[in-house]
Amino acid sequence: MGAMKSVPVKVEHEGKWIPTTMGIAEDRFRIDAPLNQVIFYKSVVDLDEKKNQVIITAGGEGEAVYRIASVEKVLRIVKRFIITQASAYRLNAFFMSPAIRGGVLVQNTQWEKGVIAVMKTGIWFVSQEKQVCILLDEVTGIELTSREIQEKNLDVVKIDHLAENEVVTSFVLCPLTTLQVLYNFLKEATDETEVREEIDPLTGQVAMLVYSGMDSSTIENMLKLAHKDLDAVYESLLDSGLAEVLYIRKEIQLTPKGVRYISESVKSSID
Amino acid sequence: MGRILIVDDTMFMRTLLKNILFSGGHDIVGEAADGAEAVARYQELKPDLVTMDVVMPKVNGIEALKAIKAADPAAKVIMCTAVGQEQMVKLAVKSGARGYIVKPFQAPKVLEEVKNVLSA
Repeated sequence: MGAMKSVPVKVEHEGKWIPTTMGIAEDRFRIDAPLNQVIFYKSVVDLDEKKNQVIITAGGEGEAVYRIASVEKVLRIVKRFIITQASAYRLNAFFMSPAIRGGVLVQNTQWEKGVIAVMKTGIWFVSQEKQVCILLDEVTGIELTSREIQEKNLDVVKIDHLAENEVVTSFVLCPLTTLQVLYNFLKEATDETEVREEIDPLTGQVAMLVYSGMDSSTIENMLKLAHKDLDAVYESLLDSGLAEVLYIRKEIQLTPKGVRYISESVKSSID
Repeated sequence: MGRILIVDDTMFMRTLLKNILFSGGHDIVGEAADGAEAVARYQELKPDLVTMDVVMPKVNGIEALKAIKAADPAAKVIMCTAVGQEQMVKLAVKSGARGYIVKPFQAPKVLEEVKNVLSA
């Protein structure tokens, strides 16, 4: 066991953020009072992150969740140790993330050599430069496909996922047998979002327009749909779990009082 | 803001792009449904930018791009490809495309790419 380096952090304890110190070694980390816990990276079963904090779930007898907030440099070191040692399906691979964002190819993106760890709720890519997490419940598509890399067509796994409300595509490249294991695992882990329903062409077009960011009135105009027809398509998208209600907007007409207000305001502006 | 020519063989995609670009303040000066029409419309309209679908009947997007660039080397063309046609991107870049968007796309990203190409 190497020497532990202590760094200041905050930990969540009984609903409050408490300043404390954290010791980081190569095979474990320690959280000082009030938690007084030593956790081996290999006992970690899940890792998630939010701005300036990591959420670490350690296994063993009853899972324990640790929320730790610190500066980015400290969190990067902790995450790297966890991703490379945690109890997870792990493989060495090349990855490109993000490769496509919102339909636009990301400029200057490149293949990075690193480690991929598939944890309970997310897939982590870690290289010298990057640490990327794709949450499994934000994966929108998995495909075993091929891609031209250095003049050769090579097998890759393509992962479409949401990141800050944008649709992002990432690629993983490794030997085919490993790719198939990864692909099968991800297919199973994201089985809930697989589309099994038959989608009629009109519903498909509406879904495509919603994806592109069109609002209801634009969709009505584009597809020459009456309000109630679009509502029926929305209902079908909602029923099949392909969409969720963002908000409900009212269509209104003026009362006699409203009409009077408008008439008077026009009169006063003419005066 | 730019004067834009939209080239795509499906009316649905043309209308979608038209709405996205219009919402970004651009002026849609024309549309074309295949590569040959695109080349003719380009000569006629001299737009600031063209969004060009790759797979189209008669003359495809790459051939139309080459013809436009031959007539006007400064032409700004953004290619629209479907997922899985990324190999086409390399060919398009070699042929002078300034940008590329992959279907399906999201409006803000399309507008960002158009802005980048117009200001380059």
